[in-house]
Amino acid sequence: MRPLDACALGPTSYRDGLRLQESLVRARAAGQTGDWLLFPDHPPVLTVGRGGRAGSLRADPATLARLGIEVFEVARGGDITWHGPGQLVGYTIVDLTPRGRDTHRFLRDLEQALIRVLGDYGIAGACVPGRTGVWVEGEKIASIGIAVRRWVGYHGFALNVAPDLASFDLIHPCGLRGIRMTSMAARLGAENVPLEEVRARVAAALALQLGYDAVRWTAPDEARSFLERGIEAAETTLDHHAA
Amino acid sequence: MPISIVVPQLGESVAEGTVSRWLKQVGEKVRREEPLVEIQTDKINVEIPSPAEGVLQAITVPEGTTVLVGTEIGVLAGADEAVAFAAPAAVTSTPARAAQPAPVTAHAAPAPAGADYGNGGGLPGEPRQLSPAVRKIMREQAVSLREVDAIRGSGLAGRVTRDDLLEYLATRGAQPAPVVAAAAPGPREEIVPFSKVRKLIAENMVRAKHTAAHTHCFDETDMGAIVALRKEWGPRLEAQGIKLTYMPFFIKAVVFALREFPWVNGEVRGESLVVKKYYNIGMAVGRDDKGLIVPNIKDCDRKNLVRLAAEVNDLAARARADRLKPDEIQDGTFSITNAGVYGAINSSPVINVPEVAILGVHKIVERPVVRDGQIVARPMMNASIGFDHRVVDGELAVKFLRRVCELLEKPELLWFHV
Repeated sequence: MRPLDACALGPTSYRDGLRLQESLVRARAAGQTGDWLLFPDHPPVLTVGRGGRAGSLRADPATLARLGIEVFEVARGGDITWHGPGQLVGYTIVDLTPRGRDTHRFLRDLEQALIRVLGDYGIAGACVPGRTGVWVEGEKIASIGIAVRRWVGYHGFALNVAPDLASFDLIHPCGLRGIRMTSMAARLGAENVPLEEVRARVAAALALQLGYDAVRWTAPDEARSFLERGIEAAETTLDHHAA
Repeated sequence: MPISIVVPQLGESVAEGTVSRWLKQVGEKVRREEPLVEIQTDKINVEIPSPAEGVLQAITVPEGTTVLVGTEIGVLAGADEAVAFAAPAAVTSTPARAAQPAPVTAHAAPAPAGADYGNGGGLPGEPRQLSPAVRKIMREQAVSLREVDAIRGSGLAGRVTRDDLLEYLATRGAQPAPVVAAAAPGPREEIVPFSKVRKLIAENMVRAKHTAAHTHCFDETDMGAIVALRKEWGPRLEAQGIKLTYMPFFIKAVVFALREFPWVNGEVRGESLVVKKYYNIGMAVGRDDKGLIVPNIKDCDRKNLVRLAAEVNDLAARARADRLKPDEIQDGTFSITNAGVYGAINSSPVINVPEVAILGVHKIVERPVVRDGQIVARPMMNASIGFDHRVVDGELAVKFLRRVCELLEKPELLWFHV
């Protein structure tokens, strides 16, 4: 199998990240490029997947407005989640057809790769049947939500490296009541865990798990060269009241 | 030919999917490969491309419904047929049909979903040799499967085609009109997919039964003293807006007994028993089809009966309204379940793992008992304990339960420790 193209995008608004993903999905489905792994650094944002239900958002519109946090409704699986600084967000633009279009296997592969990386740091991550994501002693450390268009998967995972865990108080993460989020920093009792190092390990582990020969790191401009002008993200910003 | 839209294979271990969003409306044109519908399974949401160019003729499975892989969820009219299907009246206005009033009546009373019309619920075992177009006409004209079975089909392998069915309908009026819609029996089974809460309950229950060595024992207690206390104090608290149930008394007795038998207030962690020095007492709250939940009251040892009564009210109300805070269902140390509110006089409750025991309380019933050689009627209640026999021995469980019963019988023991 060809290498996995990876890219650390740097600071990226959620809207721009989504546009780039959709452009790459289109290019991937048309056979113009290979599979991609994108790492955007998002400012704080909430996204609601197709499993979203009323009541998963706990914060009121005024609070969100004051914090400058937008809510996006997106076509991925799963309920509500938070993204922001200290989190490693990875977008997996992967053609599922050569993988037998096995959607659940893809979820399990993502979990296994993340568990392997956590293991490198001495954190015992685990998957819980029926509760996709990665868990550490009953607390959630990584969330997964995938969308598939033309059998190309996008969106991906969010690993809590060292975010402010209080951010999750805005929501019921994944729509699960009483869920507790944790992070690598919290588990290690460390002030800071270098995000760059975790990113490199995650890319390597994913490539291994998904059967690529290697990871090819590219400059953001190469990924952005697929960005199609004039294509607006199909997703819409949620009216805060509707959320 | 109309084309059936089915939930495709989404992976080896994937048995079902939920229709998360229809991207086209009925009557809307769709190009081949254009996204038509989204199906969600687990945390993955898949856009299903249209298998052909045409018009979306029918949506048979609405958004939010979970169905098995392979189930027909909609029908696409092929491009060549699109015009005919865009005007469905063409079928009902067949000249021969216009003269038949009886079936029209049946048509006016739409058949209940899932009735005996081969309506494409698509469950395994259902006859699938009927095309969507045939099934649509059957639905509209209230034709039963039995009737269709009797038609000699001209299609492949004797299959009944749309033309066969229309021909049959043209002559059907000559027979006594079958009042199919009214007489059609409802489905004998209903499939209710597990909600997320139900899935979690199921997982927790199985985990509890798998890990804890469940054992039960039973005792009984004379509730006379508590009944009297409640009778006296209930109205006074009521005046303060607090409804005094029996639960606060059970909590008081349990906390007292737990202090005497600390192991019962524990948790199995690996190969250790963690004995808790705090008393967060859970109470099971039934919520009809929303599913059971067990919120707990924190630090019950530091709260008086009135405070406990208020918190019991508040917690139960918010549990039913789905407004519990996350920490209210975490960190419980022991639970109480009252099957008596539904009328049970005894039960063998499942432990709220990782706790190691649960108290079952029940309906208070006037029963004849012997006191000082005399048979008298007393308000009696059975109490049960479910315990994890890995860490709680029978002796301990029996002693603990006896102590709880004794404290309920003589609440003054709460002050005069003997």
